[in-house]
Amino acid sequence: MPLTKRIIPCLDVKDGVTVKGVRFKDLQSVGDPSALAAEYQDQGADEIVFLDVNASVSGQKTLHAAVQKTAENLFIPLTVGGGIRSFEDVRKTLKAGADKTSINSAAVQDPSLLTRCSDAFGSQCVVIAIDAKRKGESWEVYTYSGTKATGLDTIEWSKEACERGAGEILLTSMDADGTKTGYDIELTRAVVDAVNVPVIASGGCGKIEDIVEVLTTGRADAALAASIFHYGEHTVADVKKILESKGVPIRKDVM
Amino acid sequence: MEVTIIDYGVGNLFSIARGLERAGAEVRVVSDPRSLLDAGCIVFPGVGAFGAAMNALRPVLPDLKRYISKGTPALGICLGMQVMFERSEESPGEGLALFDGDVKKLKTGRIPEMGWNDVMHQGDALFDGIPETAQFYFANSYVCHPEGKVSVAMTEYGERFPSAIRKRNLCGVQFHPEKSGLAGLRLLRNFVKIAEGTA
Repeated sequence: MPLTKRIIPCLDVKDGVTVKGVRFKDLQSVGDPSALAAEYQDQGADEIVFLDVNASVSGQKTLHAAVQKTAENLFIPLTVGGGIRSFEDVRKTLKAGADKTSINSAAVQDPSLLTRCSDAFGSQCVVIAIDAKRKGESWEVYTYSGTKATGLDTIEWSKEACERGAGEILLTSMDADGTKTGYDIELTRAVVDAVNVPVIASGGCGKIEDIVEVLTTGRADAALAASIFHYGEHTVADVKKILESKGVPIRKDVM
Repeated sequence: MEVTIIDYGVGNLFSIARGLERAGAEVRVVSDPRSLLDAGCIVFPGVGAFGAAMNALRPVLPDLKRYISKGTPALGICLGMQVMFERSEESPGEGLALFDGDVKKLKTGRIPEMGWNDVMHQGDALFDGIPETAQFYFANSYVCHPEGKVSVAMTEYGERFPSAIRKRNLCGVQFHPEKSGLAGLRLLRNFVKIAEGTA
C-alpha cells in the first residue's frame, strides 16, 4: 500500500482570525481558526494549512497565539505559511506549535534560507510554496501574493528548492486559483514529475471530482482546498468517500 | 507518571506534550540534558536532524546511556527512535546505542516519506486497542535497521522497515503518534501504561 493521498483544508488567517466567511452549521466561533481546525480534524482531514494573509509584524504575534491555541487540540499536522521572512520566523512559528512552515517570497530572494532551515529543523518541516502562472509553454514563478513576477521557471525553481532542502512543495496555480473550475492538472503533473518530494496541489478546486482528478491524473500527493469545505458544500468525509470509491488510497480513522 | 521530554532546541514539542497529558502523564520539558538523569520516564521527540539531536545530548552521553540501561522507560519518536541506535547515515558521530543496529536513508519513493502509511503490528501492548493494520503519520527520510528481534510493527515504503520497536520498557516509533489522530493518542496512552508497569 502506498502512502494515502492527503486532503488538506486551508484556512486564511488575518490578525489571528479566520477570514473569508467560513460557515459551519452548529459552530459558534466561525472566526476562530483553532475551532475550525478541530472541526476539520473531526471530519477526517489529514492535515491543516494556515495561511497568514496580511502577515504584518503585529499580525505574526496574533498568528502565533492562534497557532498555539490550535496545537492544543490538533493531533494531525499543521502547516503555517504567509509572511515567513527569516530563519527566526521559521523557528518561532515551529515553536508556537506548527509542524511545518511554508516559505514563498523569502526563499526566492535568498534560497539559502531553505538550506539553513532544513539543516536545523529537518527538511520535513520546510515547505516551499510556489505560485505559478502560465507563460507560453511554461509557468513563471510569482512572489508577494502573486503580485511580483520573478522571471523564474516553475519547474527549474521546484528542482532547485528541493536541492536546497525543501521537503515538500505547495504548488498553487494562479490561473486556476479562485475559478473553481478545477486544479491545473498539467502544471501539477509537470512539477510532480520533475521532483522527488511530495507535492500538494492548490488552486481551483470547485467540486469533489476536481480533487479526484488532481490526485489521479495530476499525480499530486495531496490536495489543498478552501471554499469547497468552508461553505459547508462538502465535508472532508464526503471527499474521502468518493476517493475511496474510485480506488484512491485514503486514510480512514479506525478508532 | 511524570514524563520528561528533551528539547533539542528545534521544532514543535507542543503536540507531543499535549498528547502525553491526554494519556494521563504529567509532562516536563527540559532543555538541559542533565535533567534527564533523574527522570522517571524519558521521551526523545522527533524533530530536527540526527547530528543536532546528538549534539544536544552529548554532554551527558555515557551517564544517560547508563541511566536508561538501568531500566528507565523511554520512548523515541521518529528521529528520537533513530538516536536510540548506534549510528546514522544522516550525520557522523555515535548515537545512544540503546538498540543495536544503524539508521539508513530510504532508498526509493518520494523522500521524505511524508503522510499516512499502514502500520502492521503484532499485538504488542504498545498497540493495545489499535487495529492490526492502522494508519499513522510519517515524516522521515531515514529508517532504522535493528539487529535482533526488537520490531513490534512493520511498514512498507519502497522497503519493509520496523515502524515500532520495543525492548522491555524501551520503545521507539518511526511515525508521529502525536500527529496520528486517535490511534496515535491511544499509542501514547499505551506507552504511559508500559512506563508505569501497568500495561
